[in-house]
Amino acid sequence: MNKIAKLFVTFISAITLALVSFTSSSFAKVEGEYIVLGSAISLTGKYSSNGVHTQNGYNMAVDRINKMGGVEVQGKKYKFEIIYYDDESNPKRAAQLAERLIKQDGVHYMLGPYSSGLTKAIAPVTEKYKIPMVEANGASRSLFTKGYKYLFAVLSPANQYLEVAIDLAVEKNGGKGVRIAQAFEQDAFSQDVRLGILDAAKRTGSEIIIDDKLPKELNDMAATLAKVKATKPDVLVVSGHTKGALTAIRQISEMKVDVPMLAMTHCDAAKLSKQHGKKSEYALCASQWHKNLSYKDKFFGGGKKYARDFQKEFGYDPPYQSAESSAALLVFKDAFERANSFDRDAVRDALVDTEMQTFYGNIKFGPGGQNIAKPMILFQVRCKGDDCENRVVAPTKWASDKFYHPIPKWSERS
Amino acid sequence: MNKVKQKDLILYSGLIILGLAAPYLFSAFKVQLTYLCVLIVLAMTWNLQGGEMGYNTFGNILFYGLGMYLTASVQVGMFFPLAEWTESGGEKTFVHTTAQYFQGIGVGLLVSAIVPAIVAGAIGYAILGLRGHYFAICTLGLGIAAGEIAGGIEIIGAGQGFTTPPFPAEIVDTEARGKFFYFLSFALLIGTFVFVKYIYGSRFRLILNAIRDNEDKAEAMGIQTMKYKIVGWMCSAFFCGLAGGIMGGLIGYIDSTDVAFDGREMGVFMVLMAILGGKGTLWGPVIGATLFHFFKEGLWTLILGWQYVALGVLIVVIVVYFPEGLMGWLREKYPERFGEVIDDKDRKAQVELK
Repeated sequence: MNKIAKLFVTFISAITLALVSFTSSSFAKVEGEYIVLGSAISLTGKYSSNGVHTQNGYNMAVDRINKMGGVEVQGKKYKFEIIYYDDESNPKRAAQLAERLIKQDGVHYMLGPYSSGLTKAIAPVTEKYKIPMVEANGASRSLFTKGYKYLFAVLSPANQYLEVAIDLAVEKNGGKGVRIAQAFEQDAFSQDVRLGILDAAKRTGSEIIIDDKLPKELNDMAATLAKVKATKPDVLVVSGHTKGALTAIRQISEMKVDVPMLAMTHCDAAKLSKQHGKKSEYALCASQWHKNLSYKDKFFGGGKKYARDFQKEFGYDPPYQSAESSAALLVFKDAFERANSFDRDAVRDALVDTEMQTFYGNIKFGPGGQNIAKPMILFQVRCKGDDCENRVVAPTKWASDKFYHPIPKWSERS
Repeated sequence: MNKVKQKDLILYSGLIILGLAAPYLFSAFKVQLTYLCVLIVLAMTWNLQGGEMGYNTFGNILFYGLGMYLTASVQVGMFFPLAEWTESGGEKTFVHTTAQYFQGIGVGLLVSAIVPAIVAGAIGYAILGLRGHYFAICTLGLGIAAGEIAGGIEIIGAGQGFTTPPFPAEIVDTEARGKFFYFLSFALLIGTFVFVKYIYGSRFRLILNAIRDNEDKAEAMGIQTMKYKIVGWMCSAFFCGLAGGIMGGLIGYIDSTDVAFDGREMGVFMVLMAILGGKGTLWGPVIGATLFHFFKEGLWTLILGWQYVALGVLIVVIVVYFPEGLMGWLREKYPERFGEVIDDKDRKAQVELK
């Protein structure tokens, strides 16, 4: 037994040594000419595709800002640098990594992760250490009702995503209530979209006839669709991140489900119009941003220029997840320059006073930290031959096309 | 014999001192150290079934998740309406005072130890008649089912998740929360270790081993195997529930399938750690969990995006080269250090046979 004891002592002292040498190489918030930001991003797991969209958005903005002179604080130019960790799409891991970024890497400013659930897990940590976090991908309403002081979201809250769609459906129905079928993934974001629909239904006197919950990692919703076929609702609402959008379109076309209106989220992140082409035609999608909107800033020009540059760098059309992530860095830059200091509370106060226009939209934070200056938009997938694209149909101020309603039956579609 | 005891004493007191000093020595690593304690507890309790009793369970995650939800629910429910809390932004309207927070978590942990133990008893009564892979598959279902069910219960937040009470704002020290959870988990670790060590010296362990080695024979010897299997599982559930309760408070946000009933990660990790260290040994799970945690924290960030591939490789390496775990491998190499008496003639005879 004593040999084992020795073995143990050796083992433990080795670990101790390793840890001590580790701690001593702690980073600082601002290193030389770099402002170090931290972010836990989903590079693996169920949110990996959106996590990469987010990371690409961040990287694009960092490159651009650094190239165009960086951030000027007290007369000195600084550049942005981001420390990334992979949170594996898991809230537990995300919270742990947030601690690690703050305590071990000494990060003083955070960028948000992807998805509401992960943001919810990180927010209590950043709040505890009073670390300002600008996040671009946590839209859940419940994030903004908790009285967080250091959380700032450049996007509109989730309950607003599809409310407009219900209003449109009611309008097309001559102002009378409609029958709604809905299916939502069981996660924070989709459940919030659901709450928005419930509010809209109450307001318009609409009736919800199917209200299904779908499992995470959504791969099959045939049971819901069978019910939709049987009950013939006026609107079908589906929300379940990228996988939800892909699964819905795949199975709706396979089962030839006819609904007059199909409203979804995450169509552009899922590259629906590319992946499913004509099958996805007429789907109505909620979006935070579209490249055709006329917002402008000096870093990216307008939406169209952003889309072109993004395409050149990453080889695909930017979904709104990338655009809003890029916007988060513009917000940080603006706040640092107005605060003219690296004091966390000064930066936080500057963030509160943010009022700016970016290529992504106007940004002004409400008392809960959500962006109140930018409306949601709806686009519809439309095809010419086999070439499909997303066209903005609501709100009318930016609508490039008319909303097509009702969706023709599968038997009439070529 | 006395001398050996003394060595043990030095080892244990050394470890305890290290454990107590750790949050001050490595202040920045408190959260990871807390995770380490919890991981060791999970590996040790899994080892009671998987290692000692020969029942490979994937169901222990059920007790862990249950403990997590129970602690948080009790902590909130004792003072405020739970439904309003989870619906939206409860922690803004209802603020725990310092006393309420600690009372809540205390009672919560108590509940989260007892209830999972009772649940383990009830489920065990129903399914511990299954053996081998039938039992493994059945328990695998338990965790998944629990996750889906919890994701549908509105009062605990359903798909929205459950934000656990934030650490009392009256305590200004930002380090206090980390220390509190670390010492809580360290206490749990010591409690679990003492308990498991006690079992190792008892007849109970021999019975569990008998069940592992040949359950029918054990029964024929007059042992009521069912009774012991259930009690064994209840013991594991007791500590798993506590571990879950602590983790819930530490993470601060409970999600049904990703945090609480996280069979894909925690559920697999606890098995992996026990096997890595050597199942069926006292120290195996401790070493396995420690190595695993260091591997995970140290290397995973270096191979962003590929860490699960590396984990897969690690599993293959363990299974191929260390089927008995590190402790088993050491035991085979240096049997005399494990107090096994080797007859030299016997060894020579074996070499000649080869």
